[in-house]
Amino acid sequence: MADLTTKYLGHTLRNPIVIGSSGITDTIEKLVDLAKNGAGAVVLKSLFEEQILLEADHKLKQAEKNDLIYSDFSETMDYIDDHVKEKELNTYIELIKEAKQKIDIPVIASINAVTSSEWTGFAKKLEDAGADALELNIFVMPFSFDKDCNENENTYYSIIKKIKEVVGIPVAVKISPYFANLGTVVKGIEEAGADAIVMFNKFSSPDIDIDKQKITHADVFSQPNDIFNSLRWISLSANRLNIDLAASTGIHDGEAVIKQLLAGATITQVATTIYKNGPEKINEMLNFIHNWMDEKGHNYIDQFRGKLSSSASENPEVFERVQFMRYFSEIN
Amino acid sequence: MENIVEYLKAERSQEWRNEIRKSIKTKLRLEKVRVEMSEEDPNIRNTNNIEVNTGLSIEEALLEAQRCIDCPTPTCMTGCPVGINIPKFIKKIETNDILGAAAVLKDTNGLPAVCGRVCPQEKQCEAECFYTIKLNKPPVAIGHLERFAADYEQNSGQIAVPEVAKPNKIKVGVVGSGPAGLAVSGDLAKYGYDVTVFEALHEIGGVLKYGIPEFRLPNSVVDVEINSLKQMGVKFRTNFIVGKTASFDDLKKDGYQAFFVGSGAGLPRFMNIPGENYNGIFSSNEYLTRVNLMNAADPDYDTPVISGKYVAVIGGGNTAMDSVRTAKRLGAKRSMIIYRRSEEEMPARVEEIKHAKEEGIEFMNLHNPLEYYADKDGRVNSMKVQKMELGEPDSSGRRRPIPIEGSEFIVEVDTVVVSVGVSPNPIVPAALPKLEITDWGTIVVDKDTMQSTTIPEIFAGGDIVRGGATVILAMGDGRKAAAGMHKYIQEKIKAN
Repeated sequence: MADLTTKYLGHTLRNPIVIGSSGITDTIEKLVDLAKNGAGAVVLKSLFEEQILLEADHKLKQAEKNDLIYSDFSETMDYIDDHVKEKELNTYIELIKEAKQKIDIPVIASINAVTSSEWTGFAKKLEDAGADALELNIFVMPFSFDKDCNENENTYYSIIKKIKEVVGIPVAVKISPYFANLGTVVKGIEEAGADAIVMFNKFSSPDIDIDKQKITHADVFSQPNDIFNSLRWISLSANRLNIDLAASTGIHDGEAVIKQLLAGATITQVATTIYKNGPEKINEMLNFIHNWMDEKGHNYIDQFRGKLSSSASENPEVFERVQFMRYFSEIN
Repeated sequence: MENIVEYLKAERSQEWRNEIRKSIKTKLRLEKVRVEMSEEDPNIRNTNNIEVNTGLSIEEALLEAQRCIDCPTPTCMTGCPVGINIPKFIKKIETNDILGAAAVLKDTNGLPAVCGRVCPQEKQCEAECFYTIKLNKPPVAIGHLERFAADYEQNSGQIAVPEVAKPNKIKVGVVGSGPAGLAVSGDLAKYGYDVTVFEALHEIGGVLKYGIPEFRLPNSVVDVEINSLKQMGVKFRTNFIVGKTASFDDLKKDGYQAFFVGSGAGLPRFMNIPGENYNGIFSSNEYLTRVNLMNAADPDYDTPVISGKYVAVIGGGNTAMDSVRTAKRLGAKRSMIIYRRSEEEMPARVEEIKHAKEEGIEFMNLHNPLEYYADKDGRVNSMKVQKMELGEPDSSGRRRPIPIEGSEFIVEVDTVVVSVGVSPNPIVPAALPKLEITDWGTIVVDKDTMQSTTIPEIFAGGDIVRGGATVILAMGDGRKAAAGMHKYIQEKIKAN
């Protein structure tokens, strides 16, 4: 049987299927189940700054409804977001500690940072709690009318540098594809000290209900077709960076995992397919990869990883255009 | 409510009230300017513990009492959590019957000298005064007058001890001797119960003693009120933690029929930022308790607080103001408030902020601490702060502070007092697993009787129910609870 072991963020994973940060990685029971079903590693559900602020707002509203709770002159209410943050962080730390005791695959903590100031302290605490690595899910709104590209990009670099200053564990950075020049940003992230890049975030998107004429949320799940953007950028980045590459979004089966590995991914992150099919899906995907590798005569992953990356081309833009022209000329 | 309206109407129609009202034309009353209470020189008072507000003289009090027009519908009373008959006590002052005024206050408020000093009248009775709501003029100085009448009585040597009913020999326990506990025990004693107050610390008075500094509320003022309770037969046991020293079951076996829990919000909160455990960083609770109750300002004492020369107090509430002004009095060269919003959002009373500024307190508003640094002995020597700007309002209506990237800088400090809020004391909830508590750790009670929703013999009030309350709200809870406990016990007796 082929050897699927993969090195990611300094840890040896039994296979390249990592469960992405999501609602399926938020309790110890789910983590144990994922490990039992063969996951290579788990990225815990992110601690979101905005979510914590919303929770604080919710608590304040609750306090207002309970007319016995008094909020005037009270520092407690004034710092309620800090207190909620502390509580959420402590719950998260407990999850890391428990996971380290109960499962024997790497546990990657994840924080969603929008500023560089507040989260460095958190990162250190997550390391102290035993996290094997950290995934920074940085989300600076890319559609501000006031900020220019450099300002946005510098926020990313600043967060990474500050976190790297305080933690010794490897740090992965999960990004969106929305940059004016993603290539330079990816390079910048490497230079800022990241140990891996995860491509890409799956944002929740707005939708519109035309009957109610209201803004609604679009389906949060990825579709198999969503794989192509990350496939392109994994392919473009492979062998041009000296850090690990994690492919994310749209990876729903064993075939998609193999595509990303061929493009040059170090590991793949899955979530939607586990939501829909349960943790047993991991085994099914692993079996597919084993069979394919046996069929192709590969004994281990490095034999084919990056085989179809674009690194052979000196100018990826030309490579992209060539693919484009060839595709449409063949159609015609 | 109708009864109260009728009662107030009848009171207002009494001959003496009619006479005093007619003695000065309303138009002339309305033209009078509010008397301001004089204060000690800020540059002298910030070096000692003398009380900042000096109180009204009798002449000033009489003059201010004349401003009250004795409204037919006294809206000021709607702003008072214990429903003091405000026009009546003010008119008693106007007739120069100051002891009579004090007696009116004591009908509904067992601690008038305390409330006259620490109640936020500007947001309660004075906010609802006719002058405020109809004329947009400074309200009658109800708080100053309350303090005047109460102090006058205390200094007269003729302190009235409220009458108590014949002892019924039924034992009730009160956990905590703060304002809620003192109020409930006074009323229970009036009903004739055998009341014992259990206090965890070595001093009686709870937050009135450990939390509020001498320069705002002298301990001697609190002691007078406590002595009145003692004379009414209330017993106090200090250094006694209910739930640890003895359990509720132990006390029930000793014959206690019901309990009032007024154990307060004594669990400090921190910000969870790096370096917060270094020496020299205190919670405001610890800092104030050490100074106020444990003689920590005396370097020869067993548990001194090092008198910081560069003191930063984190927060913008009344406790933060008390801490920073205490630090100044202990000799700090720089005594700073570091608050992440602007002055407009500060939860502290306007008067406290004003006093602090006069005393030379520096206000670093729109700043937030990020990290503390220490010397080789682990003693804090500096801190990193970041500038903030204000974003959209949150659910409390205060604008949310947002960090300004790259604005961090270092401030030299040798003492830091963290005053970012407190949690309810967890000991009683931990001792009574069946007790229903909220997400905040507060005890859930019926708001009319203050009775626990899950354990009938437990009643509660003050900060343990409200999270954070004013003295007068806590006292209001205590009074409601006393009525609730009385009803509960009497019904239980009847049923047996």
